[in-house]
Amino acid sequence: METLTSLILIFIGAALINNFVLHYFVGICPFLGVSRRVDTAFGMGCAVTFVISISALLNWTATYFVLRPGAPLPAWVWQLAGGNPETQIDLSVLSYIIYIFVIASSVQFVEMYVRKFFPSLYRSFGVYLPLITTNCAILFGSLEIMKRLQDPTKLWGLHEALTLAVGGGIGFTIAISLMAGIREELDMADVPAPLKGAGIALIVAGIMAMGFMGFTGVEKGVASAIGALLP
Amino acid sequence: MGETQQKGGYIGQAWLVIVLGLLYGGVLAGVQTTLSGRAADNKKDETYSVIPSLVRGADETKTIELMVEGKNGKEARIYKAIGADAGHKGWVVPAGGQGFADRIELLIGLDPALTALTGLYVLEQRETPALGDRITEAGFRDRFNGKPADQPIVMVKSEPKAENEVRALTGATISSESVSAIVNDALANLREPIGRRAHSAAPGEALRETTG
Amino acid sequence: MAREEPTALERFINGVLPENPIYRQLLGMCPVLAVTSAMKPAMTMAGATAFVLICANIVISLMRSLLKPHLRILVFTLTIATFVTIADKFLAAYVYEMSKQLGPYVPLIIVNCLIISRCEICASKQSVGVAAADAVGMSLGFALALASIATVREILGSGMWFGLRVLPGSWPGWGIMVLPPGAFLSLGLLLGAAEWVSRKRARTNLWRTVRMLWSWRR
Repeated sequence: METLTSLILIFIGAALINNFVLHYFVGICPFLGVSRRVDTAFGMGCAVTFVISISALLNWTATYFVLRPGAPLPAWVWQLAGGNPETQIDLSVLSYIIYIFVIASSVQFVEMYVRKFFPSLYRSFGVYLPLITTNCAILFGSLEIMKRLQDPTKLWGLHEALTLAVGGGIGFTIAISLMAGIREELDMADVPAPLKGAGIALIVAGIMAMGFMGFTGVEKGVASAIGALLP
Repeated sequence: MGETQQKGGYIGQAWLVIVLGLLYGGVLAGVQTTLSGRAADNKKDETYSVIPSLVRGADETKTIELMVEGKNGKEARIYKAIGADAGHKGWVVPAGGQGFADRIELLIGLDPALTALTGLYVLEQRETPALGDRITEAGFRDRFNGKPADQPIVMVKSEPKAENEVRALTGATISSESVSAIVNDALANLREPIGRRAHSAAPGEALRETTG
Repeated sequence: MAREEPTALERFINGVLPENPIYRQLLGMCPVLAVTSAMKPAMTMAGATAFVLICANIVISLMRSLLKPHLRILVFTLTIATFVTIADKFLAAYVYEMSKQLGPYVPLIIVNCLIISRCEICASKQSVGVAAADAVGMSLGFALALASIATVREILGSGMWFGLRVLPGSWPGWGIMVLPPGAFLSLGLLLGAAEWVSRKRARTNLWRTVRMLWSWRR
């Protein structure tokens, strides 16, 4: 019950209140580059959601068992090698390198797998997969999860990490699809020449960000609504 | 190199990556050993340096760190503030929760008997600039001083009448209420366990205490 | 015939304005929007990015003859991630306040397309001197762009610049400028302004003369 509430709050937080694109500014490159048409934008959003979840799964595992301060695996190896069991082993210096490699290789594997087994799915969003390695939203998701695995007194479990990742990916999909919808209409509009392209897209994004600011504080109401619905 | 080229296989292709991996690994190990202690100190210093302002008469060098099990079954870190005269001056409880925009992390100062708040400090927040972020200002934080710790604090928009009422910031009611909710939750969760710890332990008794 | 590679001086000058990473190439937008609410974090970010870019460019350029085509992106990423980790640890140790404020945006330098594109376009093909000049030029251009946006946002948003008050205390402070929407709006308008200025300049005779002189010197 309490877990469910906290999961719903994490989800809403990542998808709407602290939207990855409009609040944290990650994934701006595809947000500006692949938002000319709604269907491509939606495909990109799905690809990002997919990859962000997989890399969150892998990176949570790597961080929880190996990279965080006080992780079990290096401590076990250290003791096996005859080291002093009191020593706290902290491999977090390697986190960034591991994350980027996990992301790059998971993108490769996902691409191969989807192409082989789900050709129709591949046709709809497979083309965006190679672009995703350098999408900051993916790395950002893993970094946010890493932040929650630093303090041994309040560690995030896998379910919380995955909720954040899926929420973030869906938030990205919402933002980029809305943006594409607006830009399809903007093509008909008479935009001042110097602002054409990225300029007007950024201004539209600014107005969208203002709209999304309206979500701040929403989780208080959501929490009490859940409390009322599920006694 | 001759052998690897004969094999013509993966080693010949990837030796640069492997060598670089080892080289960079070594560099990072060096960076970690030289800098990580300093970074950890920075983090610790921030908490310890404000303890004297949260609990009057506390000495940050004497203060010790304890782990207690809260009512929710989770372990929580608290600080037992000790004065320069080795007397017990109070408690400092770190607490966090959702604010208006993002998480807020607080330090709550309590008197030794856990009856009243003696101070409040905001470690981390990302509230709206010029509105919600005024929760960091002393003018707001001082409103909590002397408030009872055994009953929930209530935010009010006018001058407080009851002793557990605190005046909210104008234009930042949700940020103010988030702060009071975090304080209330933390105290509800930890006040009794800390009290039990304080009574059960004689001053010198070792209780998995880790000195700061 | 292969196009001649630019010289060190050209690389340097190109990086600062003509090929400015943000206003011209729209690269590395994520930190540009995220850390420009004030000058201090913006300049810390520019410094960290410059460190990573210069180091990565020099290292990649030094081993450019050893690079295998299909493994080069891997080597770039490895190098960049290492230098980013060093920069991150350094900030956490010596400028803790800034490191706390920049948070995840320091590690996100790894996926800043600016750095990997400079490694690919310049450092993996040209000598150390040229690569270093290119990195310094690009870093300067990046810092200039960050400074321009941060200046607009900090002055309008809080009436301060580098934490010093520049507008009178009666300035109301446009809260929106330091919030996320302000980042999008000011960058959008500044991009438009830069585009407008360069279009106007392209029409004036003075600019044409300068450009002619420049091409003659080449």
